[in-house]
Amino acid sequence: MSSRFHLFDRTAVMGSGYILAMVNRMQMLYYVLILPKHLVHPYMMAGILGVGFLSQINLSILSKYLTSNYFVLGYHGFVQLFSEKMVRFFAFLGIFFILMKVIVTTLGYVEIVHQFMFPSMKTNWLIFVLIASGFYIASQGMEKTIRLSIIGFLATIWVILVYIPYFMPPIAKTHHLYPLVPGEGLLHSWYGLLMVWSALSGPEYLVCLGPWIGPKEKILRGMSIGNALSVFEYLVLFAACILYYGSPYLEKISFPVVNMIRYLQSPVFERVDIILISLNMIYFLYFIALFLLCLYGAIRIAAGRININTNRKGFLVCVIAVFIGMLVINGWYWREGQELNVWMTLQLWLGAITYLLVPSVLAIAMKWKRGQSR
Amino acid sequence: MKTILYTLCFLLVFSGCSSPFVEDNTVEEIAPVTFWSLNQGKGGKLEITTLVPPVTNEKKQVLTLNVDLLKQGKKEFNLKFYRELKLGQLRMLIINEKLAKKEIISLIDTILSDPDVSPRLFLVLVRGSFEDFLENEGKVQKNLDYYLYRMFRHYERRNQGEMSIVNLHEFMEKVYSPYSDPVLPIFKADKDNFTYEGTALFNENKYVGSINKREDQMFQLIANDHYLKNLPIPHLKVSLGQVRSKVHMQVDDHFKTLNIHVLIKGRIDEYRGHRNILSRSEMNKMTDDIQSYLQRETVGLVKETQRLKIEPLEVGAHTYSPLTHPVTRKVWLDHYEKMKVHVKYSVKIEPLSL
Repeated sequence: MSSRFHLFDRTAVMGSGYILAMVNRMQMLYYVLILPKHLVHPYMMAGILGVGFLSQINLSILSKYLTSNYFVLGYHGFVQLFSEKMVRFFAFLGIFFILMKVIVTTLGYVEIVHQFMFPSMKTNWLIFVLIASGFYIASQGMEKTIRLSIIGFLATIWVILVYIPYFMPPIAKTHHLYPLVPGEGLLHSWYGLLMVWSALSGPEYLVCLGPWIGPKEKILRGMSIGNALSVFEYLVLFAACILYYGSPYLEKISFPVVNMIRYLQSPVFERVDIILISLNMIYFLYFIALFLLCLYGAIRIAAGRININTNRKGFLVCVIAVFIGMLVINGWYWREGQELNVWMTLQLWLGAITYLLVPSVLAIAMKWKRGQSR
Repeated sequence: MKTILYTLCFLLVFSGCSSPFVEDNTVEEIAPVTFWSLNQGKGGKLEITTLVPPVTNEKKQVLTLNVDLLKQGKKEFNLKFYRELKLGQLRMLIINEKLAKKEIISLIDTILSDPDVSPRLFLVLVRGSFEDFLENEGKVQKNLDYYLYRMFRHYERRNQGEMSIVNLHEFMEKVYSPYSDPVLPIFKADKDNFTYEGTALFNENKYVGSINKREDQMFQLIANDHYLKNLPIPHLKVSLGQVRSKVHMQVDDHFKTLNIHVLIKGRIDEYRGHRNILSRSEMNKMTDDIQSYLQRETVGLVKETQRLKIEPLEVGAHTYSPLTHPVTRKVWLDHYEKMKVHVKYSVKIEPLSL
């Protein structure tokens, strides 16, 4: 075993390509796969566009912080902006948010793998394999993990082309797209919109990656393209689902996107869904690795051990804790089925809240600081 | 460091260290059957029949079981047969008409919720005894199940109007869709033959009736494939070939009348009557005759769906528009039942030439 174990070294700065890839893949995580079931009505396509636009505004608020001098300094920037005590407090809060996101997303993905690929396998094994691989990637360090994002992006972005057949007859039935105007029951759709917003969350965690991404001018551009691409993918997926199922049937399906892919048959390999589910694993792994690193960082900050070197043992303990947490939730409180379970709903709200608050809190804090120093 | 590794191992044991892979899919050890035939068994049970072994080059035999539950059938097969039955290659679900009258949706739901089974599974209704056909024909034809599958696949792919071929997804999508009702192909089976009989009609998920071969042609033209490779009209002694149709359906705003305008393009394949169809005036008369024949048949078909109060023709889907809200299924069907129907055909026949 090497005596050197540096997780948070920095040798290069990642440009807008990486930012694009990170933002886009973070927004394509678990929720997008179940989203169509909760949007149901064709007019929600306008809803996706609307929320996507709000998300864009939110990103431009976020970019205020990302382009400031505080951001480049990373942890010390936060300390300058707030006080050390406050930063430790925020990190402590962050631990829960990150933990929740990692656990729920991983378990959600595991549930899909379990249902469609290995119905006879114990889910604990799947969790173990995911976490172990995530740990391996994460232990290569933050920089390599971020570099993985672009591999994940390139390896999976083409999947959007797979949905082309769903827009053509005989699979597509145009009359499913009507009516395009909302009728009564418009109030019920707020939940779907909340879900879109929550699914679009994720880029706020870029604030943890201060030292690694830049340069300043390119950050907002990268994020905007990533966000626009995600919104486009949401639209394509949702429209394909509507054309394929029709609203009344769509409501009844637990995993509409995966089920839809099962309809495709390639002459070479019949179960196209298995290939696509496995491909998704690339960016789920990247996500798990990234968030394990963030979690470890947050724990170090919260514990006030930021100046002590990272070590393998500490990181491993942290990962094992996450693993145990997942096993517990999976074993005792996770129920597969039609409705969203408690954890999903909780994460839905948490994701929406962090995405809403993190950018504005930072922007306000910066303004306040500027006012103070004047 | 070592302690940590030990802890990890301990955790794994704790989480249950039996082999994670239970399924064994070695080809030599499994029987990936391609179809299930379901019939009414004795005492309210289900009778499941299939042909095994499906892949290897051995003598095939028909296996039949009486079970309470569909999936119980899978288990019982394994107890009876030396290979394990797998559903990953299930391509056809053949349901007897009598059973379909009693229940069909629970059977289809079971199949639908199995992640191994592709949503492209073909659904077929059978009149008569498919089991007899299997028993008899299975001896003569070596790969009977495979040939049947190829037949369905052939007619599904190009929608060429010989048969209504329906797969699992299409069926379910129409069950849930408010303005359309599913259909299934219906075949007649006896000892020697397995013949297409027409289309079975459903009211949402209940089997309510069927249309015969002659009416089925009209159904293919105005609702299903919009194409017929061959349209024989025996009493005019004429047969049309490569018939393409374009259908305009229009319902007035008060849901009182339904206008169907069908444009037909085709050519005469065969004529054995006494008219000299090379002359223009005689040909025009001929066209008129064909038009009125098609009109009569189509009105008959639409009336039949009105009588059964079902929507296999998807007339309601033509009333959809982007900006208005459709009425509920019940209201629509109440209107549809009483609607006046006007059918107009414009037939264009390419002149005979050599």
